[in-house]
Amino acid sequence: MADAPLLSLDALSVTYATGRGPLAALQDVSLAIPKGGAMGLVGESGSGKSSVVLAILGLLGEGARVTAAAARFDGHDLFAEAPALRGRRIGVVFQDPSAALNPALTVGSQVAEPLVLHRGMSQEDAAARAVSLLSEVGLPRAEAVARAYPHQLSGGMKQRAVIAGALACEPDLLLLDEPTTALDVTVEAQILDLLEGLRKSRGLSLLLVSHNLGIVDRLCDDLTVLYAGRVVEQGPAEALLGVPSHPYTRGLLGALPRADRGRIGRLVPIPGGLPDLTQPDPGCNFRARCAFAEPACAAPQVLAPVRSGADASRLARCHKAGENLIWPVPDEAVRRHRGEGDILLAAEGLSRSFALGGLLGRLSFRNGIPRLAPQAEVRAVDGVTLSVRAGEVLGLVGESGCGKTTLGRLVLRLIASDSGTLRFAGELVPDKPGAAFRRRAQIVFQNPDSSLNPRKTVAEIIRRPVTLFGIARGAEADAEVDRLLELVRLSPAYRGRYPHQLSGGEKQRIGIARALASRPDFLVCDEAVSALDVSVQAAVLNLLDDLRDRLGVAYLFISHDIGVIAHVADRIAVMYRGKVVEEGPARAVLAPPYHPYTEALLSAVPLVGSSGRAAARIRLAGDVSSAAGAGGCPFAHRCPRRIGPVCDTVVPPVLEPKKGHRIACHLPLETLAAVPPALGWA
Amino acid sequence: MASYIARRLVAVLGVLWAMTLLIFGIVHLLPGNVAYMILGEYATADAIATLEARLGLNDPIYVQYWRWFTGLLGGDFGQSLVMDRPAGPLIAEALGRSAILAGISIVLVAIIGIALGIHSAVHKGTLSDRLLTLLQYFFIAVPEFFWCILLILFFAAWLGWLPATGYTPLAEGGLVGWGVHLILPVFTLVSGLIAHVSRLTRSSMLETLDSGYVLAARARGVPERLVLRRHALPNALLPTVTVLAVDVGILIGGIVVVETVFAYPGLGRLLIFAIENHDVPLLMAGMMVVTTVYAVANLVADILYAFLNPRIRYGRAAA
Repeated sequence: MADAPLLSLDALSVTYATGRGPLAALQDVSLAIPKGGAMGLVGESGSGKSSVVLAILGLLGEGARVTAAAARFDGHDLFAEAPALRGRRIGVVFQDPSAALNPALTVGSQVAEPLVLHRGMSQEDAAARAVSLLSEVGLPRAEAVARAYPHQLSGGMKQRAVIAGALACEPDLLLLDEPTTALDVTVEAQILDLLEGLRKSRGLSLLLVSHNLGIVDRLCDDLTVLYAGRVVEQGPAEALLGVPSHPYTRGLLGALPRADRGRIGRLVPIPGGLPDLTQPDPGCNFRARCAFAEPACAAPQVLAPVRSGADASRLARCHKAGENLIWPVPDEAVRRHRGEGDILLAAEGLSRSFALGGLLGRLSFRNGIPRLAPQAEVRAVDGVTLSVRAGEVLGLVGESGCGKTTLGRLVLRLIASDSGTLRFAGELVPDKPGAAFRRRAQIVFQNPDSSLNPRKTVAEIIRRPVTLFGIARGAEADAEVDRLLELVRLSPAYRGRYPHQLSGGEKQRIGIARALASRPDFLVCDEAVSALDVSVQAAVLNLLDDLRDRLGVAYLFISHDIGVIAHVADRIAVMYRGKVVEEGPARAVLAPPYHPYTEALLSAVPLVGSSGRAAARIRLAGDVSSAAGAGGCPFAHRCPRRIGPVCDTVVPPVLEPKKGHRIACHLPLETLAAVPPALGWA
Repeated sequence: MASYIARRLVAVLGVLWAMTLLIFGIVHLLPGNVAYMILGEYATADAIATLEARLGLNDPIYVQYWRWFTGLLGGDFGQSLVMDRPAGPLIAEALGRSAILAGISIVLVAIIGIALGIHSAVHKGTLSDRLLTLLQYFFIAVPEFFWCILLILFFAAWLGWLPATGYTPLAEGGLVGWGVHLILPVFTLVSGLIAHVSRLTRSSMLETLDSGYVLAARARGVPERLVLRRHALPNALLPTVTVLAVDVGILIGGIVVVETVFAYPGLGRLLIFAIENHDVPLLMAGMMVVTTVYAVANLVADILYAFLNPRIRYGRAAA
């Protein structure tokens, strides 16, 4: 590098004061971003990623002690001048755009605010500039958006507005803290395109913080991998993700379910959890979880070139980094013949609408004359027919608001359906099912923090359904609790613990054990692994896989993560606005012919190691909430392959390219079959 | 916004109408004869019959209700039995004096409570925050009648600085003579409420200061004073506004006690008087007025809330 880097951090350390003593959140983190460069900062939750962003901004607060050998931004001392730099030369985009915008101020005034403060612009000039910034980030009707309040915009629009605000004073560096994590995958793809374009057109430097390796791979030149406050690996993105050196990076990639590879056998979980940062380990802090640990790992490790001489840009903090290490793949349970049992659950024409607003909310006045608006409704699930065979996994994908969760609750009769029938093991399930159905059909929720009662111990939580459904009593029930704990790979020592004493992965296992307590044949897993880190998610996915093999449980597996669905599902159903638009065997759904929505969804998935895929990307305008006509195809208003008015008004016919693979679309099958594969699956 | 206010107004009118049913029902449908209740157990049959005729108690119940209800709509609050005067002017006079007490109190509660709450939140964990916290819990814990007695003993009986009881109209006593009668009652009324409001403001301000948009504003380089004033305060005040309306209800309850102890001739004392003397028409009218005050306070709070919160001011129409 000829020029001095724009941002350079040398041995940045951050310590938080806690009740248990100082917590070393960051230890000697060094990184440099050249002008116009893009650095990705990856790591799981608790690795210290966000602390780096806040330290650069000087916003860590009073509880934190920040030290560094040097921290420079374009020749300035970052720590001394951070208050003068932020908002002017360093812009930030935080994770959740709904939280980052003040609900009480218009979007335009928030974009204009730094212009008035830092550039001394008049309110009128700043407001006009805000409108042009909003249209630069791709918001249609920017003037209306500027006058709107945050709650009137969708998530994707809000994030564009936040980006516009961060760009207002034409910063040199943009800090992006998980900028797309709160967004749907098709919207995420739009935002990534925008960031990529801005980087080129404005010569921006980026620091992208993310847990998603696919996003980082798309946008960044260089990567820094953070583990428990230390940099464990650093280097050019493509080389690093192609051939990772540090065992942790290798583990992360092995644990990642890949949408483009589908079911490749077992994922490789990383056992254990983050080390206690109040007592930092002088040696390698990953060694407790590492498959290759040896006594020499207890010695302090330095961040050093992986191979001496040849490639000095690849650094790793591991004395074995140069060796060819392959994480051991865990043993597979005895694999039974899957997904060819009898039909266990069959839903036909299930629909459910929710009313919007109460009686007074519908009352409005025009020229002083009161009028009562008709009851507004949203059709969350609209005539869905699907079936799950014994021992089969049906994956249900779709973006937020498409009705996945409602459908999951409808097939368990946790909420009543407006119309349609539900059969379980051949028998009609009434609206208020009895204990027999409840025993056989259970659910695992997304967030174990809110679905486990914090006042009950693990044993009490699991024991309740055991006795409730009459599985066992007394001492037998206690034995059953131990058996269930063992089933989810937790030792009986967990019996007396409370939920707050468990890690996220352990909590989710308790949720699974509770669902299995009644010995069900069918489980709805509603985003059951979405809240978990990749390394823990892999363990839970493997566990669910084994349980199916050992117990023959069928799943309705709901997820927004195509990678996870591609990994677990035998069959996949794709939902859009309450309707199933495509359904079929996993391999068939993930390869052409696609429904145009499936195609867009799959091509929006950020993949690791396929930066060249950009050419084939399908981009959708708007988001799910964009207005749609009634009647025809639910996707018509956003469809890039829309034929004409027929899509808006006529219910699309169901095409069946193969037996069991159904696509609801007006386009001829030949056209759908001719599209290039979005995931590399032919 | 106009539509929102109109909707709230419809709701308030609905509540008031329901209250007329409730108040009328309590008095007329409970077991026992109203005339008997008024005259007491030694009343002669003749006296009861006369009073029944005067009150129209022999008419069917819905006719009686309709007569009272249409009277209310026309501004006729009925006739006080004991004082033999129309209840309307009696109540208006007392209400005016109570309104002075309550108005000063609620303004003090809002200003001092919010200011202290913001101060504590911004200086969280400092000595002044801890000291305020201690004082606030003390004032919340001690009931108001205790203050009444203590204050009278200290300032009126012992020091002799302030009058213990009574009221002097502004025209007679001038600003000082009028004001000295208000100090002790107002202090009694506001002490607990200020503590309550400042605790609430402190916690909602802390929550707001911890929010994403405050962090985002700081990251944008907005100076701290502006962060507090423009970004944090309008959002932090939302729960306070709602609670202030509820506090008006608590204040009305407090006024009944305070007016009685300090012999202050307001609505609270008039209500007690009506109860003690079995003056049913006066009691019903007084209760309607109290209800209306409370309902209007909530209406004002709703409108203020909408003013501070664009999510209510504007619907979810996409821009």
